[in-house]
Amino acid sequence: MGSTVSEGARALWTLTLVLGGAAAALATLDAIPTWMHGQPRGVRRAATIEEAERRVQARVLLPSYFPDTLRWPPSAVRFIRDDGGSVALDFLAKDGAPALFLAQTVRGDAAIPEGLQGRLAVIQQQSAPLGDDAVLARVVAEDGTLWNQLAWRRSGRHFLLRGRGSLEDLIRMARSIHGEVR
Amino acid sequence: MTGPRWIDFTGQAIFHTLVAALVVEALIRLWRVRQPEQRTGFRLLALGWPLLVVPALFLAFPGREAETFRDARALFAGRHWDDLAFLGVGLYGWWIGFMVAAGLGLFLLDLVPWLRARNARSPAWIAGAPMARPAEEALGQAAAALGIEKPPLAWVAEGPPVLFCTGTRQPTVVISRAAVELLDPAELAGALAHELAHLEKRDPTLSWALMGARALMWFNPGVQVLVRAIARDAERIADERAGNACRDRLALASGLLKLFRATEGRAPARTAGATPLSAALAEPIARARAHDIELRCRALMGPAPAPVPLARMRLAAAALGLGFLLFFVV
Repeated sequence: MGSTVSEGARALWTLTLVLGGAAAALATLDAIPTWMHGQPRGVRRAATIEEAERRVQARVLLPSYFPDTLRWPPSAVRFIRDDGGSVALDFLAKDGAPALFLAQTVRGDAAIPEGLQGRLAVIQQQSAPLGDDAVLARVVAEDGTLWNQLAWRRSGRHFLLRGRGSLEDLIRMARSIHGEVR
Repeated sequence: MTGPRWIDFTGQAIFHTLVAALVVEALIRLWRVRQPEQRTGFRLLALGWPLLVVPALFLAFPGREAETFRDARALFAGRHWDDLAFLGVGLYGWWIGFMVAAGLGLFLLDLVPWLRARNARSPAWIAGAPMARPAEEALGQAAAALGIEKPPLAWVAEGPPVLFCTGTRQPTVVISRAAVELLDPAELAGALAHELAHLEKRDPTLSWALMGARALMWFNPGVQVLVRAIARDAERIADERAGNACRDRLALASGLLKLFRATEGRAPARTAGATPLSAALAEPIARARAHDIELRCRALMGPAPAPVPLARMRLAAAALGLGFLLFFVV
């Protein structure tokens, strides 16, 4: 009786190890595409803005003013489902250089996750003419380029707009982001 | 089902089979499951996964296919590999295409020779031939040792040594004059007992069922490999049953080796119509078959393998564990 119980326990322990190993291998395999894109865990890519909207189940708000120096559609659409969900769009200039970055939360109170924002160093910061808690900053990207960055809150959403063009264009684009939150 | 759902179904059927087969093979080795009947039970669990469990998951849990499940709850989602693209096609699409090609290749590798053999003119079988009397007597003794009714014997008067069983409704053992001349009495008794053990387990019917499973899952390389493993287990089961019934395992091993060397073990002749691919595949296939025979002979040279205790509990636990794990794999 005792040997049967210990045999059964050993068998279950082996099964747990095998299934645990399989689960770890599967989770690693699932994370590889994200790592290969150099993105933190949880950040996913979508082919279009519509696909990102479907996957976060919310509308992405876009600026109605869009300078003709930029290319449409966005060069990359990324999203994250944690903390209610956030979406980030990268735009290129007509010459092919990175020119604009727009990120926004879609629901919940949490800020835009750092994984979507990228690594930047803030060198100057002041309040921006977009509301009480709006912030205008001058930031340095990893490649050493300087960007203007606007961060503000509207309709319960956090927004972040970063551009290499003129500050006037950036503020005009930020003001033109409207839309009812579904 | 729509196009993307068919792709998801195909991808999941292939991926689930691979995971289930790898887990089952790991458990067979770690739990030291050596008895062929018990090994078959575990392999049937992996084979049943794409045939029964994957369709059931698709029907019972359509929410598993939603993007929200894929992004937030799934342990692994094949579609996430579509984030990486090559020549404009996602890597998940490439992987499915490669696997489907491999599955079809493995299926055709056995289907084409089988169809050729069916269409080839085979020598006539004669029932109740007077020259077959020694084989009839040996068959009667083997049937008595196994405790089953003696099936009819069909005699092939010419051609190479052949010994096999056939028939789903009317089981028959077919033997040729060359086989009787090749084997000594103990080897003949063992080889006939092996064929009777196949008939006792209704293996001809099982082989049709397995061929049906392969045809249904022609795109699934895991299924093609698993069915081959189950067929090898069926041979080992028949070896063990015949060895125990005749009480002469070495004679059975010797008979097996002689028949193999006289038929498949001969160096393959180069034929004028052979394609470069078939010529390239002929040698590894022949080597794999020789390896199978070697393993069977080695097993017969040792004592009969002992069953692993608590086999049903292990099988049930493995099925439950796999069910839980693969629910989160989409």
